[in-house]
Amino acid sequence: MPVLTILIALPFLGAAVVALLPTRRPETVFPVALGVSMAPLAVAVYLLAEYSIDGAVFQFFENYVVSERFGIAWELAIDGISLFMVVLTALLFPIAIAASRSVTEKAKTYMVLMLILEGAVLGVFLALDLIVFFAFFEIVLIPMYLLISMWGSERRAYAALKFVLFTAVGSAFLLVGIIVLALQAGDATGTLSSFDWRLMLAIDISETTQFWLFIAFGLAFAIKVPLFPFHTWLPDAHTEAPTAGSVILAGVLLKMGTYGLLRFNLSLFPDASVDLAPILGVLGVIGIIYGAAAAIVQPDIKRLVAYSSVSHMGFIVLGTFALTSQSLQGSVFQMISHGLTTGALFLLIGMIYERTHTRAIADYGGLAKVMPVYAGIFLFSAFASAGLPALSGFVGEFMILVGSYLTFPVLSIVAGFGVILAAVYLLWAYERVFTGEVNPKIAGLKDLSFREIAIMVPLVVLIIGLGVYPKPVMDRIQPSVESILERVETATDYEAPEFGRIADVEMVEHHDGPSDSHEGGEG
Amino acid sequence: MQSAAWLPVAFEVTLLVGALAVLLVAVVAGRSRDVWGPVAGIAFAASALMGVWQWIDVETNGGGLFFSSDNFSIVRSPMVVMDSFSALAAVVLGAVGFVAFLSSWDLQAQLGKRAAEFSALMLLAVAGLHMMTATPNLVVIFIGLETASIAFYVLAGFTRKTEGSDESALKYFMLGSLASALFLYGVALTFAATGSLTLYGVNSIRNFFSGQLITEPGILLVGLALMLVGLMFKVSAAPFHQWAPDVYQGAPAGAVGVMAAGVKVAGFAALARIFLGGMISQIDAWAPILAVIAALSMVVGTVMALVQDDVKRMLAYSGVAHAGYILTTIVAGVPGLEAMWFYLATYAFMIVGAFAVVSAVNGPGSGAAPIASLKGLARRSPETAWLMAILMLGMSGMPFFAGFVGKVLAFVAVAEAGYLWLVIIGTLTTVIGLVFYLRIVATMFSRDGDATDESTESESLSVSLPTRFAIVIAAVVTFFFGVVPWPLLDVVRSALPF
Repeated sequence: MPVLTILIALPFLGAAVVALLPTRRPETVFPVALGVSMAPLAVAVYLLAEYSIDGAVFQFFENYVVSERFGIAWELAIDGISLFMVVLTALLFPIAIAASRSVTEKAKTYMVLMLILEGAVLGVFLALDLIVFFAFFEIVLIPMYLLISMWGSERRAYAALKFVLFTAVGSAFLLVGIIVLALQAGDATGTLSSFDWRLMLAIDISETTQFWLFIAFGLAFAIKVPLFPFHTWLPDAHTEAPTAGSVILAGVLLKMGTYGLLRFNLSLFPDASVDLAPILGVLGVIGIIYGAAAAIVQPDIKRLVAYSSVSHMGFIVLGTFALTSQSLQGSVFQMISHGLTTGALFLLIGMIYERTHTRAIADYGGLAKVMPVYAGIFLFSAFASAGLPALSGFVGEFMILVGSYLTFPVLSIVAGFGVILAAVYLLWAYERVFTGEVNPKIAGLKDLSFREIAIMVPLVVLIIGLGVYPKPVMDRIQPSVESILERVETATDYEAPEFGRIADVEMVEHHDGPSDSHEGGEG
Repeated sequence: MQSAAWLPVAFEVTLLVGALAVLLVAVVAGRSRDVWGPVAGIAFAASALMGVWQWIDVETNGGGLFFSSDNFSIVRSPMVVMDSFSALAAVVLGAVGFVAFLSSWDLQAQLGKRAAEFSALMLLAVAGLHMMTATPNLVVIFIGLETASIAFYVLAGFTRKTEGSDESALKYFMLGSLASALFLYGVALTFAATGSLTLYGVNSIRNFFSGQLITEPGILLVGLALMLVGLMFKVSAAPFHQWAPDVYQGAPAGAVGVMAAGVKVAGFAALARIFLGGMISQIDAWAPILAVIAALSMVVGTVMALVQDDVKRMLAYSGVAHAGYILTTIVAGVPGLEAMWFYLATYAFMIVGAFAVVSAVNGPGSGAAPIASLKGLARRSPETAWLMAILMLGMSGMPFFAGFVGKVLAFVAVAEAGYLWLVIIGTLTTVIGLVFYLRIVATMFSRDGDATDESTESESLSVSLPTRFAIVIAAVVTFFFGVVPWPLLDVVRSALPF
């Protein structure tokens, strides 16, 4: 059964169902949209259950040749990395839709766009054919653009266009890179071109070509991540987007960039990756510190969380290009964790924004007395985001820092300050919003409703679950990232350092790998 | 089965008979459109079917010639050829003509008694356009070009009492006839240098290149350059594009679609026949020149479209950019033909559909069409707004719409030919193009200005059935061939006669 094709098709079918709802019955839109968005989640859970740890790296393989001459195929598969990206996507979309109860204006269009977006994002994570990947990667822009520009806040038109332009400039270079690569692969197969990712792995690309292709691909993904200095679109887009848009942007769309770096840059251009890894590592660390420093001074709570994303995504890039098994695993784990924690923070900010219509930190104060449940969940999410041990944020960042210490010790130490800064900006924001005198403007606000708590529960449970017991996730990530690392090691003379090989006694304690890390956290 | 001797000219004959029938019926049976309207529609539909018939015949019998002076051994120059190339052009032009005719339905209603002449001119124009594509003879290309151009000059000025229409017609006529003259002069000089008017075949320009010492290279070069300039003007490639925005803006919205789409299809088909058919051996000499024109068109068209406040002017400048993208396929040589046909066939429908929307929103005879007039279209007519969004995304080259497939095919072909810099310019201008296409989409769906604008904004917009039909066909073509391009690709791949 072509389960992955079904998975991609389900949101699009759902969008069609929602679009065909009678205009006279607007009240049906929300429950139907929420209902159809559950279908991909069910399939994702099925994939999670059926994915075999001991099996091949790529599973549920599907391959239908679309055009032999151009070498285009509808080629889908799941490995340990895309598995969790798919699950994260399928989980966050129903949550984001559930959080969009207050969207009443053009609700149908809104839900249709959300579901189209979900289908496109799933396509990005599942496609192994580069032109299919690119098609999904690019089309994601359109529903997101419309979501921001139609339901965003004051400066939505500017933010939406900025988002599209930044990302599209990247995709322009990505397309050039893909075409060059496809023509080279075509020479190997004797066809005009070939867009098959697995075939591209096999061809020999000269180092100069690799360098330029790495730049072309890397630019597209770096803008999407966003990596410093390409991050300036992110605070605007996140801040102006409607709540669900921010959740999806931070939770899923940014991951398309880091996923692309892992899947394409590392695997396809190993020589260039090894050569350029220090530069990307430095950019990642600059992003960590810069994002955190900028977050501290934001007067707007949503912008604060947006800048914190720049910081967290910097960790992922650092871990990716540190090129050790631990750091890569940490990166993938952090991709999941960041989706949960930042998603939770954006949801919470959306809930309070619906009540007060202000995001300025100065407009709040003493909120904990007015909305105690809300304050509790917010504090929990802030802790998770800041990487408190026993919560999911800790595992990923810890593994990234430990893993990258082997290759980039200085960068790793500097990045460590990012963790401290994260505690500063989040807790300081908490203090200003939730403690102290109750600001008269916010007195009498209703605490979270049952629906709002229900939205937060799955995220809270997962954040704790992954923080305490990350092993099931790590078991699935590990073979996949190690196959990428192995590919880099066989193609170049790079050798990934391991803990056993260095004399640092302190580090040896963690040498067993993923299952250890949470213990370190608890202790 | 032996092919019918008249089949090579069946397309033109159908349309000419249709044009005459429309005029006659209008005179005999009164000027009510109920009588002659269907005749014109049937003529367009029948011409497209003739194209299909020609296509099938070429597939089975291998094509044919008309006015072939076989017994005249010195020249031996066929005047009309029927090959897969011309048959494909017939299908595309017939279908586009039919859709454009539907989209001009409202305009005809507004024209009243003069509408019969309008339809007859449209039929004549499309016949002339196809003549340009169905011949290896330079003079016949010129005759087709003039037949179409003169009809278009008149169409542009058909509502000359409204603002801009007479300016549009006059400008088009002055500059258009200059371009035609340049083309004709180029033909004459080419003949002077080579002694042949035929592009390929016995004693043709192609053979001249391979066999003879070129004694007058200067004359030949000037001739080629003049022909190129003439055609570049007609397809509005930069820097020969300045007429397009004014002409598009001033001409009645219901008539611009066929002008914009038809001339591009026929102009590029003729260009491909001249350069890939007659002068393929000199590709290293002319491809760099075309590459520069292509790059210039993409950049100038895109940048100028950014700053337009009028939909028609915006579409005119975006048409300049599209001319650039299509030119890259010719730069790529024969392997690019497939991309060229795919691009042309889909873009023609998009542009006709887009002008049909403009005609529906701003009125079919209107000149100016400010972008602001699209504000709130999503509320006034949600269906039209969604279809227009599809057309805009198609033009912008977004994946899952036909424009993307066309662009990728063009870029792959031209990258394979070694012009990577052209691909980079193409992808970057595509990104900038997103700004103005998305601006249209955002304007249609915008929530802003609900309260500020007058009551006319909130009235629901009723689109007449033929116009709606035209828009739907255009959007379906844009979306369908964006998702499933393979059927069309298989067809266009066999349209490579050279």
